[in-house]
Amino acid sequence: MRKFFSILVLLTAALTAAADNVEFRAQAPAQVIVGRPFQFTYTVNQRAKDLRAPEFTGFDYIAGPYTSQSSSTSFVNGRRSSTFTMTFTYTLMAQKEGSFSIPPATINVGGEHYTSNGVKITVLPEDQPQSNSGSGQTSNSGAAQQQGGQTAQRTSTGPEQGNIFVRTLVSKTKVYEQEAVLLSYKVYVAGVDLKQFTNNTSLPDFTSFLQQKIDLNDVQLELENYNGRNYQTATIYSTLLYPQKSGDITIDPASFEAVLLVPNQARSRSIFDDFFNSYTTATRTLRAPGATIHVTPLPAGKPASYAGGVGKFTMDAKLSSTDVKANEAITLTLTIRGAGNMKLLKTPAVDWPEGFEQYDPKVTNNFKTSTAGMSGTRTIEYLAIPRAAGDYVLPPVQFGYFDTEKGQYQELSTPEYTLHIARGAGDASTAAGTPSSVSYVNKEDIRELGSDIRYISAARFTPVTGTPSPLARISFGSWQMWLLYAGPLAIALLLFAIFRKRIRENADIIGVRKRQANSVARKRLKKAKSLLSQLDNPSAKRSVSGSGLSSISEAFFEEIERASLQYLSDRLSIPTADLNKDTITSTLRAKSVPEDLIDRTNRVLSDAAFARYAPAMGITPSDLYRQTEQLINDLEDCKL
Amino acid sequence: MKRLVSIYFALLIAAATFAQSPTALWDEANQAYSEARYADAVTLYQTVIADAPVLTRAYAPVYYNLGNAHFKQGELSQAILAYERCLRLNPTDKNAKYNLRFAQTQIIDNIADTQVFFLREWLTTVRNLLPVGTWMWSSICLFTLMLVCLLLFAFSRSIGLRKAGFYVSIICLICSAVAFANAASLHHRDSVRAEAVITRGIVNAKASPDRSGTELFTLHEGTKVTIHETLGGYANIEVGNYNGWIPLTTLERI
Repeated sequence: MRKFFSILVLLTAALTAAADNVEFRAQAPAQVIVGRPFQFTYTVNQRAKDLRAPEFTGFDYIAGPYTSQSSSTSFVNGRRSSTFTMTFTYTLMAQKEGSFSIPPATINVGGEHYTSNGVKITVLPEDQPQSNSGSGQTSNSGAAQQQGGQTAQRTSTGPEQGNIFVRTLVSKTKVYEQEAVLLSYKVYVAGVDLKQFTNNTSLPDFTSFLQQKIDLNDVQLELENYNGRNYQTATIYSTLLYPQKSGDITIDPASFEAVLLVPNQARSRSIFDDFFNSYTTATRTLRAPGATIHVTPLPAGKPASYAGGVGKFTMDAKLSSTDVKANEAITLTLTIRGAGNMKLLKTPAVDWPEGFEQYDPKVTNNFKTSTAGMSGTRTIEYLAIPRAAGDYVLPPVQFGYFDTEKGQYQELSTPEYTLHIARGAGDASTAAGTPSSVSYVNKEDIRELGSDIRYISAARFTPVTGTPSPLARISFGSWQMWLLYAGPLAIALLLFAIFRKRIRENADIIGVRKRQANSVARKRLKKAKSLLSQLDNPSAKRSVSGSGLSSISEAFFEEIERASLQYLSDRLSIPTADLNKDTITSTLRAKSVPEDLIDRTNRVLSDAAFARYAPAMGITPSDLYRQTEQLINDLEDCKL
Repeated sequence: MKRLVSIYFALLIAAATFAQSPTALWDEANQAYSEARYADAVTLYQTVIADAPVLTRAYAPVYYNLGNAHFKQGELSQAILAYERCLRLNPTDKNAKYNLRFAQTQIIDNIADTQVFFLREWLTTVRNLLPVGTWMWSSICLFTLMLVCLLLFAFSRSIGLRKAGFYVSIICLICSAVAFANAASLHHRDSVRAEAVITRGIVNAKASPDRSGTELFTLHEGTKVTIHETLGGYANIEVGNYNGWIPLTTLERI
């Protein structure tokens, strides 16, 4: 309402400025006393006529309007400025106590109508006759308590029924921790002349409070009816207190030193006394009583995001952009607006996604301290730089505080943002197909953030219901198990027993012989070779007699024949009894050995037999040896 | 096709009317777990296990989930028991192994492992790879294969087949014996049930199986112990290098 009025005044001022600065104002004291006349004036800074005053409801019209004019002209630095004031004065008297408003009046300035401001007047009751100077306090102390004030302490009874004292006023006596309390000291003056306060002031040291002093720029005197008497009052000291602990906190009494003007009583009264009263000053110590504040601790159940705030707050969030390139900064701006212990707010934590480089938030405060408490805004700027491309979710930022009006915790939350980080221009490490630009990559181990058990298995569970199959029921150590071993074993043994003959037949004589055929033949050939060398050696020839020589050559041919026959017998699995040229030829044919090899075989066999019994037949031992060796080699190569 | 559809619906109706099938219970339990109603989940998993005719490898996940539900409720010893039982049914369950290790990091007792010869440890690890049934069946199969190979060796005329039959039968015999030994060892472990977990928060082991015995050492919930023998409500347990008697009521066999 007040704001509205001020806007109105401003508007009218602006309008009047346009119309040659016509200012038309109504003025009256804010407080008046019943039965005492007071002056109500309208001032206008142009020559005006035809003032139409409203009806002064609630007030007796005593006299007026008296019109007076004043004008002044001044030259300042060669510039002429003149002011003109026209004043219309009414004398009014209030009929009854209460609050009254006087509607605006209109006036005619040069044919135009102007409207004044409305005025609000509080009418206080008359002074009650004080039978006992101290009784008022006790009778009215209840009312004082209700106001939140402390019982006033009458510190001084003035010389001429005058009265001056200081009251301690606290806005609330029951508060929560951290909730602001307004403590002010107000001086009440009646019938004495207060000149000033000295610096000799002792204030309590507000321990267990956080103190925020309020600057009182212009001290306004106000009339106030207190304990049936009207006083001039003024607030001399005002501070906001934020309790830092719970329980009953006592504020110690304060004392102020006032300088009073005391009329000199020694002089005889004369008619000039009123004009030329001589005064002496007297200092007086005024004591303001102490106060007790009941501080309730904050209830349990603080939200996790509780940031220490007590009061009433709102929060706005603004994200600079949700679509940026990697390595470009993103700023989240939180604006916490409200009233309460703004100074003690902790900065809410922002849970940036992994891969975002975060910086310390920048905090800007814009606080205003008034008698209503501390209010304003705190702006917190969080800067983060995404280092990798992708889509991320920035979870909501929570801000918890204690709402003193509701008496419970409130939680404010920003919206959840989805961030789209595109590949940055300089982000060569992630850009595909740019091997030419090499950039340094910071390798990091995987960081473990926490540990927990792994999650439950959610696979489909379809156990075999009903009785399990007999095989599945076989347990270790049961007779069924042993049966499973014994069964196959018995079958195998039975098979062995039945086919025993076959096994024996199968016993690997043939195979062994076959495999050993070559080596057996070689052994014999080796022997033959040693005999051959004896035959060929001339020294040996000489030393050995002729019969000896022939016996050696016979032995040689015998070895050759045996070697070839033994080899063929083993290799072709022909029993020695059946070993003759025909069986050998037919067996070799059956195994599809080339015909020339068969011929050679026959020739070697017949040569060996022939030479053994008829050595002079022109078969040289060395030739036969070579042929035999060749034959065995060739047969070895054949697949038999 | 029509018949198939009708069978499908019949099955659906059967499932609906017989909602307490293990599959339904399992799904319900998982639902309870995901909604953090761990106590309900525990009850449901326990019902699934109690209803099982034979605890096969298929039931390992039930124990695993039961362990998780116990763990989330802070019942550490029950969780460890469930994980251990899960690993009895399926010794290769990696998640169960991980969670068991995780749960064991939360228990109070720090048991210094007694130094086991590496070969023995390795053999135990191999043994624990498969459950007893699998070992037993592989042993039987390998034994039968060995006999087949022996027959092949005896009756085949081909030298290659004979050779192969001979060597394969020897390998089969060795493997069958190893499998049998593993099965026997596991069977022994499962029948003796010597391993147990302490279920009481704190228990003092005594020097003798009675109330008046000298108190030797203190064990806490979740510690795994080996029972050597039981006598009059007391169990002679060994843990690390310690040996003592504790009441049977303070532990639960795996």
